Amino acid sequence: MKKRLGIISLFVLLFAAFIMVWNFSYQKGKEEGYVPIKENSSTQTSIPSESGVFERSEFALEYENMPVDENHQRTLDTYYNNRAYYGAPPSVPHPIKDEKSLGGNTCLQCHQNGGFVEKLNAYAPVTPHPEMISCRQCHVAQNSQSLFVAANSTKVHAPKVGVNNALIGTPPMIPHQLQMRENCLSCHAGPAAPKEIRVSHPERINCRQCHVPTDKVVTEIKVFERTNSITNE
Amino acid sequence: MYNSLSTRRSFIKKMAQLSAMTAAASMFPGILFASEQEEGIPNGANLDWKKGPCRFCGVGCGILVGTEQGKAVAVKGDPNSSVNKGLLCVKGYHQTMCIQSKDRLTHALVKKNGKYVQTPINEALDIVANKMKETIAAHGKDSVAMYTSGQSTIPEGYVASKLMKGAIGTNNLDCNARLCMASAVAGFLTTFGADEPMGCYEDIDHADYFITWGNNMAEMHPVLFSRMLEQKTRRGAKIIDFATRTSRSSTASNKSILFEPQTDLAVANAICYEIINNGWINKSFVEKHCNFSKGLTNIGYGTEDKFKFKDKPEKIDFAAYKEFLEDYTPEKVAQYSKVSVKDIKYLASIYGDPNKKVVSYWCMGMNQHTRGTWMNNLVYNIHLLTGKISQPGNGPFSLTGQPSACGTAREVGTFTHKLPKGVVMNPKHRELAAKIWKVPVERIPAKPTYHATEMFRAIDRGDIKFIWTQVTNPLVSLPKTSRYRPGMEKESCFVVVSDVFPTPTSDVADVILPASWHIEKSGLYGNSERRTQHWDKMVEGPGETTPDAWMTIEVAKRMGYGDLFPYSEENHVEEIYNEYRQFHEGAKHGMAPLEVLKKESGAIWPYVNGKSTQWRFNAKYDPACAEGKDFDFYGKPDGKAVIWQRPYEPAAESPDNEYPFWLNTGRVIEHWHTGSMTRRIPVLHKAMPEAYVEFHPEDAKALGIRNGENIRVTSRRGSCVLPASINERGLPTKGQVFVPFFDENMMINDVTLDAFCPISKEPDYKKCAVKVEKA
Repeated sequence: MKKRLGIISLFVLLFAAFIMVWNFSYQKGKEEGYVPIKENSSTQTSIPSESGVFERSEFALEYENMPVDENHQRTLDTYYNNRAYYGAPPSVPHPIKDEKSLGGNTCLQCHQNGGFVEKLNAYAPVTPHPEMISCRQCHVAQNSQSLFVAANSTKVHAPKVGVNNALIGTPPMIPHQLQMRENCLSCHAGPAAPKEIRVSHPERINCRQCHVPTDKVVTEIKVFERTNSITNE
Repeated sequence: MYNSLSTRRSFIKKMAQLSAMTAAASMFPGILFASEQEEGIPNGANLDWKKGPCRFCGVGCGILVGTEQGKAVAVKGDPNSSVNKGLLCVKGYHQTMCIQSKDRLTHALVKKNGKYVQTPINEALDIVANKMKETIAAHGKDSVAMYTSGQSTIPEGYVASKLMKGAIGTNNLDCNARLCMASAVAGFLTTFGADEPMGCYEDIDHADYFITWGNNMAEMHPVLFSRMLEQKTRRGAKIIDFATRTSRSSTASNKSILFEPQTDLAVANAICYEIINNGWINKSFVEKHCNFSKGLTNIGYGTEDKFKFKDKPEKIDFAAYKEFLEDYTPEKVAQYSKVSVKDIKYLASIYGDPNKKVVSYWCMGMNQHTRGTWMNNLVYNIHLLTGKISQPGNGPFSLTGQPSACGTAREVGTFTHKLPKGVVMNPKHRELAAKIWKVPVERIPAKPTYHATEMFRAIDRGDIKFIWTQVTNPLVSLPKTSRYRPGMEKESCFVVVSDVFPTPTSDVADVILPASWHIEKSGLYGNSERRTQHWDKMVEGPGETTPDAWMTIEVAKRMGYGDLFPYSEENHVEEIYNEYRQFHEGAKHGMAPLEVLKKESGAIWPYVNGKSTQWRFNAKYDPACAEGKDFDFYGKPDGKAVIWQRPYEPAAESPDNEYPFWLNTGRVIEHWHTGSMTRRIPVLHKAMPEAYVEFHPEDAKALGIRNGENIRVTSRRGSCVLPASINERGLPTKGQVFVPFFDENMMINDVTLDAFCPISKEPDYKKCAVKVEKA
């Protein structure tokens, strides 16, 4: 009898516990059900010109602590030589593994995060736009040194380093357009960054707090003239 | 991986080289220039560096200005300043470049037959003084007014107050800080009985969470935001951005939570509900240090002239407060705030966790609000309920927008109701002012007159016949300029404008006085963390430019008040500061002596026994606390802070069928306020040449609007044409458009509404209803 009572009370207890747990989760469910249907907020976080600058900031401390490998530094000359003109997409200066591929993962293997490539004895540059995976749409190989017929195109000279400061010692301005180059750290930090433009303070990740673009204006904005004429000699 | 560095010897060699370079580059503290990067920079070793505070925002960074042959040629961050530790923002680095602008006001200009005629400064000051005297004689003391600024130096604000309240005897003195800080002041006074934050910037180094309320710090307080980002990368501190617009700050934060404009009131109450409901309340702290009160509700919006309001505080008990919060369960609030229940609970859980240190930051989002005082109260409620206040890394922190909104507008008190210590309504405070100013106490009127918005309404009505504006540009910065510009153009009011550059305000002036810029005079500023900073004149100003304080003194002398202004031209800054310091003597507000401020990069008040007080109201740090108490909110007679019962009430104007969009206005990192300085700095203008109207991409798509297309934004007050900006600098929520207000060619304030918080009288620039169409 005692044993039976024990078993019964155990089941009663279990049942009560079940009711309680079920009730709790039911209440919780109701609470969740109370959440009003919200508009899809996925469009809310895409401002590339603003978010891009912080994209590789999780590596900021690694960049800060990285020693400089002087034997394998890129220079700004080689950086620009690899482009048809200042601002053009760089060409691919090495053999391509798979001629059929878009690029995508094949390229990103080295160019998403960089790193030393033994075969080429160089650090792979990091792309500022890894979300674009049809790499070879813009980046093509150079398979010939000669031209079909001679060309007349002149190469616009890229801005020099060290002359983009408005005042002595002020942070240099950004002399290039930002479209698809919003992520500063990809080109200005790490071992593949050309030494002349490698940032000395990669840990300060809000780059555009101090560095602002000078090459932003596409439409002309005239010099402001006050209509209310002041005779101020 | 980095095989070339694998040998220990070469590594050590490289480190040695690196440290040698660091030493060589000590001219640029914290920033290391590789020799290649320095190539084009001329040798700057012969520069003479002088310290001061930055001219722009309220953060109050220390700067060093490099001068060469009497010209300012370089700016760098002051490594000795604990505010910015050597870092500045793009505005700070280039600030001195505006002085060289071609249209600099170098001489006084007096309007004669519709044309401005260059006039010797002495004659111009005669005209100003005579006009002021004549107007008082003909129409009484309350027909003249002065409108100054949170950018006025401490001496400038002090002599303006002394002239108006002590010498002339009128309270017709207000300032543009009314447009940015009044709600913060009213919030502090109602909750704590003492103005200005209890904490300091060092909180950033201790906090686990930063919660920013309607505040785009990455652009508006960039140096502080960089300090927060540093804590985020190094210590894993978290930044939560609570706002109505996705901005640069949101993209850098750990989490971005968006809410429907005006519902921040409800969300703050919901957080309090959750804290109490989950038992996260710090009972002993609340019992020992807090009272509960409620005020009037349904308090109006001040859109009509001569609007009057006086709150009636009434003590309540905890049970009543708890019952009030029943209306603000996360489930109820989620329905109209568009913040999910989960996010509200998440916010509450951060505040509620006793093991997490939380700092709340806010600025214009909460202050420029028709319920701005309430909103400030509500955030204090959260911190008081959890006892997270006045401790390193724990506390509410109200940021300011102007370099001396605290130092001058709030501490010297260039508001209609204020005196350097206390308010005009209090006979004891009037007595103290009369004693220090050496004037009869009856001369200081006991009744406040016009706050900023009402002052310009009075000009429009013809009640004010003379106004003198200093260091401010109200015809770009006031709300509803579509009314106040024609108002100031009226013949009935004589307008004197002191400024450095011509502005839309100087365009309507009868007399324009040429002011010295920042580094062309000596002065003192006070920043958001109660830090007073001094600087000495660094360069000579052009032509007849004169410091604003000295012009005020000269006019006072010409009006016959010379005996009240016995200062010398060379030393007036020091003499005035020493006189002003007497007002704040004591452990609660003592200011640092001038010798200290000259030597150090600022000192925080209360400055007691040679020490800055970093955390007020906490007995561990604040010697003004009463014996035997751990916390003492000594601004209130019983030492207890007030937890206010403040409900949600709708905005003054909400979108409807005819005007379907919210209009939000604000700033950008490149420009500061009305842009009269920053737009004259080539670097900043090139980076941000004109204003724009931001759309949510889906709204733009529905309206068929493309990027860059000209759009007319129209409200019931006026309209403005701007290029559309889609998915660029910021992203307003759906149904909202955003416009920065720096551009005098695109006056968005013609469109905004002059509704204000009835308690603080601060206008709401963030909410009104507009329609948009292609122009």
